[in-house]
Amino acid sequence: MPAWRYLNNFDWILFLAILAVCSVGLVVIYSATTGTPSAGAFHKQMIWLGLGLVLMLLALLIDYHTLAEFSYVFYGIGLLLLLLTLVYGRVVNASKSWLGFGGAQFQPSEFAKVATILMLAAYLGRERVRGLGALHFAALCAIVGLPVLLIMKQPDLGTAVTFAPLFAGAVFIGGIRVRTLVVLTLVATLALPMAWGHLKPYQKERVKTFLEPTRDPKGSGYQLIQSLIAVGSGGVLGKGFLAGTQGQLQFLPEQHTDFVFAVLAEERGFIGALLMLGLYFVIIYRCLATARSARDRLGVFLSIGVVCTFAGQALLNIGVVVGMLPTTGVPLPLMSYGGSSLASTMLGMGVVLNVWMRRLVN
Amino acid sequence: MAMGFEQDYKGFQDYYEARRLNTRIHVIQVLFGAVLVLYLFAFWYLQVVKVDYYKRLSDNNRLRRVTLMPLRGVITDAEHRVLANNRIAFNVRLDREKVADMKAFFPRLAGILGVPEKTLNERLAKYHGRPAFEPVILKEDVDLAEAAYIESRRLELPMLSVEVESRRNYLYGPFAAHALGYVGEVSEDQIKKTDSSGEYELGEIVGKAGVEKQYDDDLKGVKGWKQVVVNSLGREIQEIEEGRKPNPGRSMRLSIDLDLQRALEDAYADEAGSAVFLDPSSGAILAMISRPAFDPNVFAHRFSQDTWESVVNDPRNPLQNRVSLSKFAPGSVFKIVMSIAALEEGVATPSRGDHCTGSWRFGDKVYQCWAVRKGGHGYLTMREAIIQSCNVYFYHLGNDMGIERISKWAHLMGFGEPTGIDLPHEQAGTVPDPEWKKRAMPRDPTWHPGETISVSIGQGAIEVTPIQMATFAAAIGNGGTLYRPHLLQSREVREGVEEEERQDYVVRRVELHPRTLELIRNAMWGVVNEDGTGGRAKIAGRDVCAKTGTAQVFKASRDIDADKLPKEKRDHAWFVGFAPKDDPKIAWAVFVQNGGHGGTTAAPIARLVLERFFQKQDARQGGQQVASVAVPQ
Repeated sequence: MPAWRYLNNFDWILFLAILAVCSVGLVVIYSATTGTPSAGAFHKQMIWLGLGLVLMLLALLIDYHTLAEFSYVFYGIGLLLLLLTLVYGRVVNASKSWLGFGGAQFQPSEFAKVATILMLAAYLGRERVRGLGALHFAALCAIVGLPVLLIMKQPDLGTAVTFAPLFAGAVFIGGIRVRTLVVLTLVATLALPMAWGHLKPYQKERVKTFLEPTRDPKGSGYQLIQSLIAVGSGGVLGKGFLAGTQGQLQFLPEQHTDFVFAVLAEERGFIGALLMLGLYFVIIYRCLATARSARDRLGVFLSIGVVCTFAGQALLNIGVVVGMLPTTGVPLPLMSYGGSSLASTMLGMGVVLNVWMRRLVN
Repeated sequence: MAMGFEQDYKGFQDYYEARRLNTRIHVIQVLFGAVLVLYLFAFWYLQVVKVDYYKRLSDNNRLRRVTLMPLRGVITDAEHRVLANNRIAFNVRLDREKVADMKAFFPRLAGILGVPEKTLNERLAKYHGRPAFEPVILKEDVDLAEAAYIESRRLELPMLSVEVESRRNYLYGPFAAHALGYVGEVSEDQIKKTDSSGEYELGEIVGKAGVEKQYDDDLKGVKGWKQVVVNSLGREIQEIEEGRKPNPGRSMRLSIDLDLQRALEDAYADEAGSAVFLDPSSGAILAMISRPAFDPNVFAHRFSQDTWESVVNDPRNPLQNRVSLSKFAPGSVFKIVMSIAALEEGVATPSRGDHCTGSWRFGDKVYQCWAVRKGGHGYLTMREAIIQSCNVYFYHLGNDMGIERISKWAHLMGFGEPTGIDLPHEQAGTVPDPEWKKRAMPRDPTWHPGETISVSIGQGAIEVTPIQMATFAAAIGNGGTLYRPHLLQSREVREGVEEEERQDYVVRRVELHPRTLELIRNAMWGVVNEDGTGGRAKIAGRDVCAKTGTAQVFKASRDIDADKLPKEKRDHAWFVGFAPKDDPKIAWAVFVQNGGHGGTTAAPIARLVLERFFQKQDARQGGQQVASVAVPQ
C-alpha cells in the first residue's frame, strides 16, 4: 500500500500536540534569551525544528518494520559516533559530548538514544523473546549498557540517566515477572549506597543540595532556589511575555535549557504550567494509545521505548524545576533549547506516528 | 535476514498476551499520569499558595535600594564668609571589564596617571571580590587638566573614566581647624551603634570632630534613595521612578569672625597652646585657636594615607583641641577667684593689707613668692597684690579662708564642670577639696593644709581648661553671669531662610557685691595699665583688663627666670581678661604652652587680636566697611 494512503490513519492529535509544545518552547526561549548572551538561541532552535520535522516525516514514511530491519545498522553507527566523540569530541562544560561537522555540531548521544530504542524494540519484538528469560534480560542490559557506558565516559550523566526509563519500560513491558521485578528493586535499593561512593564530588553535591537547598544558597543550591522563586513568583497568571524577572535578569541559570519550564511558569503562571502539563500528558497518552493499538510486538516496543524515554526526561526535568528532584541536567524534550535533543525526539515521535498509522492489519 | 524478521513480527500469538501487554501499558500510563498530577499540585502550591512569599523573594532579587547622598551644609563665619563648603572633585576610575590583560596594561597606566605601579596594584587589590562592573578608583582628586586629558582619550583608553564627586572643602586650611573639625568615612563602630535605625551606611561621610561632629545631624542633610533593577550580577539595568531626592544639609553660621581669627592665627606664629575670644554678653565665640593645628582637608581624601598618618601620629598631637580638651594649672589667674571668694565670704575687705617678705614658712615648708630675690613685695593691699601677683598675700588669704570656701567659689565661677561649649568631649578640669582627695587619691586621702596654700596661687591639683578661663573672664566683665560658650550663631531652616539660635545661654548668675566687682576690675585694669605683669597688652584708650598666670612645668622654675629656660622646660603662660573695663565687648583666655611668663608671650598675642577687634568696632561705628580677609589660600 502506498505510504500516502496511510495518511487517513494519521494521529493528528499527537502531531498537533507536539507542534504546540514546540511553538510554546520557541516563544519561551525567545523570552528567556532576549538581551542575554544567548540571544541567537531562538533562530537556531527554529532551524532545528525544521530539520526535526523533516526527520519526523522520514521516520513516518518508511515502514517501521523496515526501520527495525536496519536497527543494528543504526545501533552500530550510534556506537561508532559515540566512540568518535570520545576521541574527537568537543569539550563543553567539562564533558566531551559534542561532534562537529564543519560549522554544525550535534550530540551523538541523542542519536544513539533513538538507535537504542530501535534496537531494543527490534530485539524484544520477536516472538522468540516472549517471557523474558535471564538470557534475554542480559541481552537487554548489553543493548542499553553499551551506549550508556560510552556516554558516562564523556562524562554526561544527564543523558545517561535518560536511558534508565527506556530500559525500565522495555523490561516491564517485555514481560518481566513481578517476582523478579521485586527482587531487582530490592537489590537496586541495597546497591544505592555503594553507587553513592562512585559518584563524583559535584554529583554528590547536587544530591545533598537537593535534600537541603538552603545549605549553600550561593553555590549549588542557587539554581534550585532561583528556580523555585521563578515558579512561585509567577503566581496564577504569570508576569507576562518578556516580563519574567528571574529569567530576564539572569538570576535563573540555564534559563533556556534545563530551566525553560521555570521561565514558562514565571511568565505564564499556574495557568500556563497547567496547560503545558496537559499537553505533555496528551503526548504521553497518545503514545501509550499507539502502544496499545499496535498491530504487533515490534510496534508495541517501539512506542513504549519512545514514550518512556520522552516521559522519563520530561518528568525528570519538571521535577527539578519544582524542587522535587535533584539537578540532573536533563533537558525538557521538545521545549528546551538544544537541536540534537529536539531532532532526536521528533525522530522518535515520527516512529510512534508510524506505528499508529500502520496499526490496522489488512 | 529480512525474511527472518518478517517471520517474527506477525502480530500477537494469543489473546492472553495482548491482555497482559495492555495491563502493563495501563500501569505505565497511571504512573506517568500520577507523577504529572503530583507536579500539578507542586505548581499549585508554589504559584497559588506561596505566591506572596516567592514574589517577595523575587523582588529582593531584582530590586536594590541605592542611597543618594545629600550635599553637606555650608559653614560660614558670623559675616557669612564661607569657612567650609563642598567642591567638585574628579576621580579617575578604571572599568576592569574592559581590560583584557591587567598585567600588561598597568605599566602603561602608571605612566599615564603618574602613579607608581605598586600603588595602583594596591588600590586595585581592595576591589578583589567585588563585582567586575564596579569601577575602581585609581586616582582621586585630579586637577581639571588631567581630568580633561583622560576624558579626551576615551577612544584610546575606553577603560578609564572620570567620576565627579562632592568633597568637603575647608577654604582656609588649618584656620580654626579645631572649631570646624573635619569629616571622614563613618567608622564601623558608629555603623554598628546605629544599625537598628539604619542611619549610617558604609562609606558615608560624617563629621568626626568639632562643629562638623557636633552638628552632624543638621549638616549631613537627609539621604535620598532610588530603586533600581539589577540583574544577577548586581549590574544596574534600569531605574524605577519611585524614590526620594536627597535634602541638602542645613547651612550653619558660626559666631567666629574670620578677621579676628586671622589676627589670632597670625599672632600665634609658631607658638603652641590655645586661645579663645568671646562675647562676654552672650558667650558667642569670636575666635578660637589650638596649636599645633592640622589641615582638615587632609582627611577629606581617600588615599592620602601618608599625610593622614603623619597628623594622627604626630607626638605633638595636633588633633587635640586644647581649648576644651586640655587642662592646665590656672596659675596666678586663680588669684582673682581667691579675691572674689575672700571678699564675698567676708574673710577680707578690699583694704586688707599684708606684708610680703618673699617667702612664707608654713608647717615645715617654705612657700616662696616670685619676688623672693628682691626681698619680697613689702606691704600690699589686695589690689596691689593682684597687680603684683604677690604669692605670699594669697598664701595667707587661702590659709585664712580654708579649702572649702575656695572650692565653693571656684565651682561658682564655672571651674570643675564643663562649660557646655558646643564641641564634642569637653573636659571638666579639677577643683580639689578634701572630698575630692578621698576619691582621687585613696593612698593619701587626708587633705593637708599645705595643699590649700598651693591651690591659693593656682598650683597643685587644680586644673582648668582655657574655655573655662574665658568664660570666667567674661563673667567678671559682665557682672557675674556665666554664659555657655558657643560657636553656633544661626542655622538655615529652609532654603535661604536663617534662624538665629534663641537659646538661653545663661548657665548661672552669680550675685557679686558691686564693691567686689569694682575692686577686681580695677585690679585687672591695673595689671595691664599700671606697670603690672600684663603691660604688653596695653592699648591706649581701650582699658584692657587682664590677669597673667603661669602654670608650672618644673618645680625648679620657681627660682629661675622662666624666659631663659629651654623652651620645652618653660612654664605655660596664661593671659586672661576682658576689654574695655566698663561695658566689656570681648573676653578671652590666651594660653601659650611653654610660653614662660604670661605677660611675656601671651599678652602680646591678646593685644594683636584686640587691636583688630577695636579697629573693626570703630569702623562699624564710623559706618565704614572694614577690609575683610581676602582670597582663600
